[in-house]
Amino acid sequence: MSIFGRLFQGARAPREQADGELFDEAFLARLELLQVVARRLFRGRQRAERKSRKVGSGLEFADHREYSPGDDIRNLDWNVLMRLEQVLIRLYEEDEDLPIRIAVDVSASMLTQGGKKLRYAQQVAAALAYVGLANLDRVGLTCMSGKVHQTLPAVRGKGRIFRIFEFLRGSQRGGPTDLRAACSRLAAESSQPGLTVVISDFYDLDGAFDGLNLLRFRKHEPIAIQVLDPIEVRPEMTGLRGDVRLIDCEGPEGADVTITPATLKAYAAAHERFCEALAQSCRSRGIPYFRAELGVPFDDLVLRMFRLGGLLR
Amino acid sequence: MNLTGWTAAEVATLFAVGAAVITGLYLLRMRRREVVVPFAALWQRVTRESDARRLWRRLRRLISWLVQLLILGAICLALGDPRPDVWLRDPVTLAIVIDRSASMAGEADPSDRSEGTGPTGEGAPARETRLDRALARARAEIAALGPSDRALVIAAGAEVATVAPLGRDPSALLSGLQDLAPTPGEADLGRALALARHAVDGQPGPKILLLTDGAVDDAGVKAIRGCAEGPIACVVDRSGGPAENLAITAFAARRYPDDREKVEVLAEVQNLGDRAARVILEVQADGLGIGRRELALEPGESKREILPELDAARSRLQARLLPVDDDPASLAALGPPSDDLAHAVVPPLRPLEVALVTDGTDLFLEAALLTLDDHVRLSGVPVAEASPDHPAIAGADLVIYDPGPEPMPAALSPKNAVFFDPWRHPESPSPIARGRDVARPFLTEQSREHPILEHIVLKDVNIRRGTTFELEPGDEVLVRTLGDPIVVLRAQDASTLAVGFDLRQSDLALRTAFPVLVANIIAYFERSAPGFVASVPVGARRPLAVAELGLQPEGLTTLEVHTPGADGIADPDRAPELAPVQDGVVRLRATQPGLYRLRAVDGATAGAEVWIAVNQANVAASDLHDRLGDLPEAQRAGEAPIPAPLTQGPLWTLLILVAAIALALEWASYHRRWTV
Repeated sequence: MSIFGRLFQGARAPREQADGELFDEAFLARLELLQVVARRLFRGRQRAERKSRKVGSGLEFADHREYSPGDDIRNLDWNVLMRLEQVLIRLYEEDEDLPIRIAVDVSASMLTQGGKKLRYAQQVAAALAYVGLANLDRVGLTCMSGKVHQTLPAVRGKGRIFRIFEFLRGSQRGGPTDLRAACSRLAAESSQPGLTVVISDFYDLDGAFDGLNLLRFRKHEPIAIQVLDPIEVRPEMTGLRGDVRLIDCEGPEGADVTITPATLKAYAAAHERFCEALAQSCRSRGIPYFRAELGVPFDDLVLRMFRLGGLLR
Repeated sequence: MNLTGWTAAEVATLFAVGAAVITGLYLLRMRRREVVVPFAALWQRVTRESDARRLWRRLRRLISWLVQLLILGAICLALGDPRPDVWLRDPVTLAIVIDRSASMAGEADPSDRSEGTGPTGEGAPARETRLDRALARARAEIAALGPSDRALVIAAGAEVATVAPLGRDPSALLSGLQDLAPTPGEADLGRALALARHAVDGQPGPKILLLTDGAVDDAGVKAIRGCAEGPIACVVDRSGGPAENLAITAFAARRYPDDREKVEVLAEVQNLGDRAARVILEVQADGLGIGRRELALEPGESKREILPELDAARSRLQARLLPVDDDPASLAALGPPSDDLAHAVVPPLRPLEVALVTDGTDLFLEAALLTLDDHVRLSGVPVAEASPDHPAIAGADLVIYDPGPEPMPAALSPKNAVFFDPWRHPESPSPIARGRDVARPFLTEQSREHPILEHIVLKDVNIRRGTTFELEPGDEVLVRTLGDPIVVLRAQDASTLAVGFDLRQSDLALRTAFPVLVANIIAYFERSAPGFVASVPVGARRPLAVAELGLQPEGLTTLEVHTPGADGIADPDRAPELAPVQDGVVRLRATQPGLYRLRAVDGATAGAEVWIAVNQANVAASDLHDRLGDLPEAQRAGEAPIPAPLTQGPLWTLLILVAAIALALEWASYHRRWTV
């Protein structure tokens, strides 16, 4: 059974199971070749495969210092001692792990259309988590909406991927989207800054970018992945017409609207402007931004778009 | 406008109630469909941006409400069954009789030109004809017919035809007017009006409308007056105009009696207009011009042009009137074209049938007649057998009575006759009355100019005895004896020449002048023989004696008639018409001027062909003057009626149609989300 199938095993629709088969072993093997790229160096807690600012017991030579009693004589530079008669200790760069926090928006807006967006976001989160775990990074997950629902503390090692799957599958869902509050809480809960991937539809008219900016302010390196449903991007595909009452799936807000082709075009244009404004804000602050529509195949997103965007290599 | 269904109050009540219901339903708040969306805040922003269009949306709802009221109003009005006032009058059965005689091709009064009445065909002349004006009036009458009215259209030319049968379909009536054109000759208005009377008699609101220019013949005037006096309303609409017209009123050719290979052509041109005119008369023989002359005619003047000594080998002749050097006045004076062209054929060579009633003793006369045997067929008849029924006399063109000492026959032939000494006995059936007996008369005076006495001097003729005659008005004295007429010519339908002495009792027969005299007499009567009538007037059924055409009537029952084509000459490609021959007479359907070819299908001369010229040659038909005079007010048609707004079906069906269309538009706009 594929990992995706194990992730969504149980009460899942047959269609979901069929989709899950795409997340097969070959795909995982390709994921293992990838690595999450951090633009900055973060301090890790354990030794791993990423460079850190610390000088320690890595493999790459960093510097010399005078010997002090108690130093491991195995690090004594015998060549210098014999030539210059100076007792120096060889120092090496310390390799540490990368703290990766993946925040998945589980608000009600991600549950429309049968929860396709949330499932897609979970797939992306699982894929990125697997990449991180495969590179001995510490990967933590957070499910949030207007608040932080649940948090999975950082774990290491590929064997923990099933715990991540369980976490994603069992997380609470629903609630209004408030990225500012959620990110604020997320930053507060994170004792160590690191790479923070926010996967959401960002349907928060006022706080969509503020949450990301707050993470950046807290020394995190935020990455925005906006998951969009094409039907919501271009609602004229629904054929909706006439006088309707629009009910917000996240709250009591509603609006009496006369849907005409012109209205639908206006909404599509406004939605595009909203997304473009979010992308522009991210770019201006150096925040990587990815737009993932459900129509884009999942493996194409992970294996091609993320690599092109510099998130993976 | 009147309501013949529900009353106005009922309609208004229903409309008010319905409008209240519709308005109430529009005022009720619409129950909207609920749609869950993930990003309502963005929807609200979009709808706020389109608030400027809210007024238009309200307006669209207002339009939708008005459309509903329109549908309701149309249905309510349909229940009222509205009808215009013009529809409420009694139904009318109208017979439109259109005169399409030759005069209808004349120009209409340009000061009375109405819009849309002129000819519209490409290349059509700019002037409007009287027929155009009549057709415009006919169209106006058809357009004004109400839904319960019916009409028929009768075209009155030389033939009368119903071009549109009785009905209420305007398209069928109008289609009958499409191909109407003036026809040569005079219109047979008597038959046309009689047909119209029979068609509308017994129908509701019978009425006859005659569209004419008033230029009709006596029979037409009589028919119109008779129509007005009948029980059916009969009104006349006249579309007169300028009466300028030049016409060829006669065109004929004859062979010279003394030289049958030569012909003489006569053309008569008459100015029937009110102003002096100039015109060129051109005569062609088999397409070759043989004469061209410019004529100047005063109003009413008639001129004859004779072209003598022409070769008889060219047998088909045409005369046409042409304008002088593109002179517009001359062109305008020509008038309708149908009388500007005439045809003639050189009569066939046919011997003159002469019956000589004699006792057989006048060998000089017989000898003189026998010398003319190339164009005279002489038959001798004994005096005792000389009744008009005698075959030789019945078939003769000329009967010569020379009984000598025997008394004249008791009954004379009604044909051309020459009498020698008709009053030898006291009792005589001679049509020219006796004067007195004269012993040894001297021929003292003679009419030298008369063709019978041409080249003859009757001087010193010895005569034993003679008889003078009593003259009647119209008699022409050719020879006198001391003032008393002794040779008299009475020229009538059947001419009579009476010679008051016996040839046997004079030495005239011994003189060289005698055979010349006999030849002159034969030539004179030959000119008046029927064979010289080479032109037939246009008409639906013209009776023609086949013998006059040069065909033997014995056994002849059918003639093939080849009618002329566009060039005026019998078209060999056109299928011939068959005309029955009864008692030696064929009734020729000659509706088109031109040269007709007749072929004997059977009989003694089976296969023989003769040519007949048919011309309008009718002064009455060419005269464009209005001859109707002032008609009573009741017989005038007045102005053209105002077209009825609708001619098909009651108006409520149209209202239902309007409601259905509005409903369909509303339905389509609703489902296309244009009005919601």
